[in-house]
Amino acid sequence: MTAMRVDAKVVMLGKESVGKTSLVERYVHRRFLVGPYQNTIGAAFVAKALNVSDKVVTLGIWDTAGSERYEAMSRIYYRGARAAIVCYDLTDSSSFKRARFWVKELQNCEEHCKIYLCGTKSDLIEADRSVRQVDYHDVQDFAEEIGAQHFETSSKTGKNVDEVFQKVADDFSSCALEFMQEEKGVDLEQKKDSYFDNCCHN
Amino acid sequence: MPDARMAADVHNKGVFWEVKNGNLAPSDRLRQDRSDSPTPGLVEGTEPGAGQEGAMFVHAQSFEDLTAVSESNTDDNSAEVGDSNLESAQEAALEGGEEESLEAEQEEVGKEEVQSRKKAKEEDVTSETWRSHRKHVFVLSEAGKPIYTRYGTEEALSSIMGVMMLLMSIVEDKKNIIRSIHADGYRVVFLRKSPLILVGVFQTNCSDRELTRELQYIYYQIVSLLTLTQLNHVFQHRQSYDLRRLLAGSEHLTDNLLRLLDRDPGLLLSAVMCLPLASSARDMVSSSLQAAKAKNLVFSILLAGNRLVTLVRKKDQFLHHMDLHLLFNLVGSSSSFRAGEGWTPICLPKFNPAGFFHAHISYLEPASDLCLILVSTDREDFFNLSDCKKRFLERLRRRNAYQSLQEALNMPSYPVSQVGIPELRHFVYKSKSSGLYTSPDLPAPYQGEEELERLMGLYQQLHSCLHNPTRLLRYIYRCADTENLYALVTSGFELYLCFSPLGTKSLAVSAVNKLLKWIRKEEDRLFILSPLTY
Repeated sequence: MTAMRVDAKVVMLGKESVGKTSLVERYVHRRFLVGPYQNTIGAAFVAKALNVSDKVVTLGIWDTAGSERYEAMSRIYYRGARAAIVCYDLTDSSSFKRARFWVKELQNCEEHCKIYLCGTKSDLIEADRSVRQVDYHDVQDFAEEIGAQHFETSSKTGKNVDEVFQKVADDFSSCALEFMQEEKGVDLEQKKDSYFDNCCHN
Repeated sequence: MPDARMAADVHNKGVFWEVKNGNLAPSDRLRQDRSDSPTPGLVEGTEPGAGQEGAMFVHAQSFEDLTAVSESNTDDNSAEVGDSNLESAQEAALEGGEEESLEAEQEEVGKEEVQSRKKAKEEDVTSETWRSHRKHVFVLSEAGKPIYTRYGTEEALSSIMGVMMLLMSIVEDKKNIIRSIHADGYRVVFLRKSPLILVGVFQTNCSDRELTRELQYIYYQIVSLLTLTQLNHVFQHRQSYDLRRLLAGSEHLTDNLLRLLDRDPGLLLSAVMCLPLASSARDMVSSSLQAAKAKNLVFSILLAGNRLVTLVRKKDQFLHHMDLHLLFNLVGSSSSFRAGEGWTPICLPKFNPAGFFHAHISYLEPASDLCLILVSTDREDFFNLSDCKKRFLERLRRRNAYQSLQEALNMPSYPVSQVGIPELRHFVYKSKSSGLYTSPDLPAPYQGEEELERLMGLYQQLHSCLHNPTRLLRYIYRCADTENLYALVTSGFELYLCFSPLGTKSLAVSAVNKLLKWIRKEEDRLFILSPLTY
């Protein structure tokens, strides 16, 4: 018995204060809250429906707390997730180490979960290049190695935020199409179209 | 006997993380006829505001409290007859230690640039402002490692905390326990709750008992985040563990709790305030909440800011007011639950310090102050509880109760002038059997933070006089420059009144009856008279 129909479970992971909640806030509520940092307690759940070609996909987003205190609980949040957005702070190299930890954890426990690496606070880098602590190409290499997607976002300006979640939904729905293909034989052309559409957007 | 059952539960460690449904029920009170003309001699259970169907909260103190009280009693005595040389030696040690440590810190300042603490925390611990704070609280591990400080950073205070640790060990070495040091208008209160040590430095003349109670709150706040089991486990594993790693991000909860302790009479009185609401509306809300039940749901709590709208509980399960205050604090000090539906493990230490409950916490509407807390024993219960919330909301809307609830929320509580007692400025009335209290809106002279804290400080002093275990008082009247105060305790209720300086003692005494009559008349609205269970 579930309260709402959720197509895909998406989990936000990453070190505390990298901006997981801000990313979700920006995406779901289209806002960026300025003020003292408020850490997430446990986890927060939001459902968000979005369009993929002409279908509606509802993402159930679990925004988890980064604090070590909840680490023992984290499995209940990522178990069965179709996608994990692993966040790190572009201006904090230790947060990328933590991201690697989460990637390993996911690879060990959730092999069907797609990983999206997300470097946050890119607006800070644009303001001052010297604050960058995590190299773009290093992460790109790492992403290729683990078969993950890689984004750099800013929740403050909104840059790349929608793209991350859209990509999650697109991948989910094309993945779902693949499953359907086996069962019902869906028109291949249609899938290809949507795939090329996405390329153009990017 | 409830105490014995409770004690059994406290020691029932159960599975590592999960809470068992222990039976904490006090034996149900018989339904008693409600008296029409209340008098100060009312017995517990018939006073205005007393619940009709027994209590919602745990009545008796837990086993732990009872033992702790007797401990502190013996210590109070020993402190009085105690060796005065020892005390002064301790004082000297503290003063000397402080100076030494301050010198040491200045060298360290340079290293501490990489700190991610809030600005308020980054106060210079060598400064006069730091020293002049009215209430300092420090938490450290038994290895002397800093865990929390209210002001300044823990790193900067590691040597002071070392001195505190040293003080405790010196006294304990002689098979003694250090409870407090009184010097120069300060009280330094020590509380050892293995594996933690809590130290408060207060500029106050409240009793050590009151101050220890505040430290206990801080201790339970930490337990509520980690469980005692985990806390013990961590330190057994590694004595020098830096607990701040596990508590990261929770400092503002503790900060906020300390503010509540200064401002909310509920924490002082071990009671909770209700949102004034017509009883028909409240019953509607309660029954809707009762209907939205789930298998593992233990408590459903609806809050409006720091006031309780209703609480529905599993049959035979009782919440301790302290646990409820910790929930209030969790919700009140974080905007996190506005981001979506919150789902968090939480230990209710007075219920069972060994395990986690799992709480679904969400606001009824994004901009609303109404917050629903659903407490379950099952960590997989999120969607079940989310569904409970949905059903609750649907039912409320169908019966148009949501509107009246929202209206009650937007209204101020009630002005003291409604009672119609001349010169009365403010009061706090607690019904002992229901564990609920009521209090009017704060009048003009007490609306500022400082003035509010001053008034609460006065109530706290009265409270500490009335509850002094060696000299129990029934009432106390105190004249001061800016107000006259009257406090009264009976087996049924506790009452604190604040009059303008023009009030007289005879006025105060006669006001009690009038006020009780008024509360009796309004009790439907001010209290939860018929608490429900699933």
